[in-house]
Amino acid sequence: MSSSICLRRLPQLSSESSIHSSIGSRNLLSSTQTSSFSTSTARFASPLMKKKTGQVAAPKRGAKTLNVKKGRGGSGRDTGRKPAIGERKALRKRIVLSNTNALEVPTLQDLTKDNVLDKAVEGKVMGIPGEVVDALRAVEAFKTSQGWSLFRRPAALMRKETVQIAELVKQVEAGEAKAKQTIRKVLVGDKMSGKSTLVLQGLMIALLRNWVVINLPDAKDIVLGHTEYAPLPGSTPTQYYQETYTATLLSQIAKANSEILSKIQVTSKPALPIPTPPKLNLLKLAELGAANPEASWPVFVALWKELTLPGRPPIMMAIDNLAHVMRNSEYLSADAKPVHAHDLTIVRHFVDHLSGTKTLPNGGIILAAETKSNSPACPALDYSIQLAEARQLGREVLPEWNPYKVVDMRVMECLRNMEVLRSNGLSKEEARAIMEYYAASGMLRAKVDAPFVSERWTLAGQGNIGELERASVRARI
Amino acid sequence: MQKNPAPGVISSKSTPTPSDMPPRLNVLSLTRGIPFRPKPQTPWRFQPSTPVVPVQYRAFADARDGSKGADSTPLPHVTEEAAKIAKIEGKSGPDLEQGTPVAEIVKGDKAAQENLPKVMQDKLRAKTSGTSAPKGSRSFSTATTPTTQDGGDLGLLSFDATATQPAVPGVKFGLPVLPIPKDGHLKHRYDPVVDQVTKLLMRHGELSVAQRNMSLILNHLRTAPVPTINPSRPLVPGAPPPSHLPLNPILYLTLAIDSVAPLLRIRSQKGAAGGGVALQIPVPLGQRQRRRTAIQWILTSASRRKTTASGKGGFAQRVAQELISVVEGKSSVWERRNAVHKLGVAARANIVVPRKR
Repeated sequence: MSSSICLRRLPQLSSESSIHSSIGSRNLLSSTQTSSFSTSTARFASPLMKKKTGQVAAPKRGAKTLNVKKGRGGSGRDTGRKPAIGERKALRKRIVLSNTNALEVPTLQDLTKDNVLDKAVEGKVMGIPGEVVDALRAVEAFKTSQGWSLFRRPAALMRKETVQIAELVKQVEAGEAKAKQTIRKVLVGDKMSGKSTLVLQGLMIALLRNWVVINLPDAKDIVLGHTEYAPLPGSTPTQYYQETYTATLLSQIAKANSEILSKIQVTSKPALPIPTPPKLNLLKLAELGAANPEASWPVFVALWKELTLPGRPPIMMAIDNLAHVMRNSEYLSADAKPVHAHDLTIVRHFVDHLSGTKTLPNGGIILAAETKSNSPACPALDYSIQLAEARQLGREVLPEWNPYKVVDMRVMECLRNMEVLRSNGLSKEEARAIMEYYAASGMLRAKVDAPFVSERWTLAGQGNIGELERASVRARI
Repeated sequence: MQKNPAPGVISSKSTPTPSDMPPRLNVLSLTRGIPFRPKPQTPWRFQPSTPVVPVQYRAFADARDGSKGADSTPLPHVTEEAAKIAKIEGKSGPDLEQGTPVAEIVKGDKAAQENLPKVMQDKLRAKTSGTSAPKGSRSFSTATTPTTQDGGDLGLLSFDATATQPAVPGVKFGLPVLPIPKDGHLKHRYDPVVDQVTKLLMRHGELSVAQRNMSLILNHLRTAPVPTINPSRPLVPGAPPPSHLPLNPILYLTLAIDSVAPLLRIRSQKGAAGGGVALQIPVPLGQRQRRRTAIQWILTSASRRKTTASGKGGFAQRVAQELISVVEGKSSVWERRNAVHKLGVAARANIVVPRKR
């Protein structure tokens, strides 16, 4: 093989080109600037060169060519400008409780303090009075997934399970002054079977009966790791409190129960880290905690202590999306171990009452609702629900724990003696009542008769209320 | 065949021809509709979801049909035949008022029993062999979990339509009302406009997502304030007052689409004008095509709107807002339609009507 450059001239070549770079070299050898040891430069360069020189002929006039470039004016393409930060989320989370286009239902009656515990309202659609709506809105009991925005004003069907909750309320109120009952219920049921609405109706009944209402609207918000947290001083094992979340909760309590709380004076001397005025009622106390997040947890403890003194009203506590607080939270401890949800003070407070280790001296109801659409896998909760249902139905063969699943003993202990309230499908009569309400509101354009109700009831999986709504008013076609 | 003649298009086949008439030869009818807007319009008809339609014709044949030969009459029922024979012979035959069970007829007849259907043969055999589990019973349960505590009411117990003796023998659930209502066909059970919009909303073949968006659009139309009609942008003649629209969102949607639907499209015929210029020829569109064009215009201009909400319903909301602005006469789709019509008027000289012989 002969080299393209004479090896003897190689040193000359390099010096010549460096010195006389400005003068056009007359040396024939200087024309090859690339190193001949590598062929890759030339090989990869060639297509580029071709592209530069050779122009592809324009397509013939009228000939159709494939053009897959973006921005060709497709009908479905999203080319709109983006809105400000947080604006779209606010719109998504907005709760609309009224539709001015819907017709006013003349036969719709309001619930009152007296008729809410009455058996006669069962199976009827009843309106929710305005002040209760405001309170329920304050505790975030309304959800965006529910169909409130379609009707003139909020109204709900007093279904069988609602009347059962009303019975429980009656039972608590009828108890002796010394031994008031604390009733604990976990609401279970199929997807879209109205569990959250049952929680809402429970809170509504409590508000109408002048109870104190505390609601944790979504358990996921507590354990998600989106709010700041700090270890609670002097707690063993270490518990964690969430200042901002507790402050928000206090402000919700204050808004929803302002009338009751403003009538009750603080009798004990709470030791709070913030200066307090000498004469204080419970509303002021809660507002104080809401305004000072750093003192929110001590304020909450003081408020709770005041509320559980003898002679105070009964309490309704509710939580939705229970499975989220029955596992490790997203928070980490100081040694980077996950914090169990039960070690968060708010959750701990709720769970103690749900498990029955603490009771409400003035009576009350603890409601917890599971969710089927956005809940983490929680085998201990599922098993506890099955067990409780089997016990309640008086089954002889109780379900057994699957030994291949990891057991969370804290959850098992907590849910050992729980009771469940299953949200079943509506009966045909209830379905007819609510469909007549839909039709009277102008949202359902059909003649509501027995075959029609029967058809929709069957289409809705034997009266699942969410599916019934979807099949009749949501225009899901 | 068009069910609803589109306003502004004269359809030569708007009246249904009776089936017994010979196909008529209408010399005067045009080969295709001419885009022209006549003054009086058929008013907007409300279509109830469960239309009560009088029976106009039957789908079954009976003795009064055209055929009169002896062979054309169907054989009578076995019981009727027996009754006739008994009448001829002067005996008392089976009572026609009450049906005779076939099992009774073939009771002693071995040869007839062999010709019975298999189900009845099995039944007979089961009877002779004694009490055994019925055929087809499984060792496992196929029952579903009852959702109500008090048992498995599947919605059929209180459905008393079939409890009475059927009026027509052999038809368990009664004869259907004829003609079959519009939504009676499985593939055409939805409103045609809603169906068309849903299919055009669909992206990547995700029909369910498109259906959810359609539902969101209709619900937005229901909850939005009553539109104010711009008099310079008139809607389809015979439209109901705007206050009626939110309570009937499908009508709202149909009205918005039909109001901006163009009557024609411009076809560019290459080389017809000479000198390399395409000849523009207006071509009338059918109802479905007109709607399709309008929907696509609306969807395009909806996608150009500013995004207001995040999440799944963002596009649906913009489409709904665009529909409202169409009804209110604010949408740019109106200009687009007017431009097409203007061009169509300018180019109408290019239409070559085939000469009649």
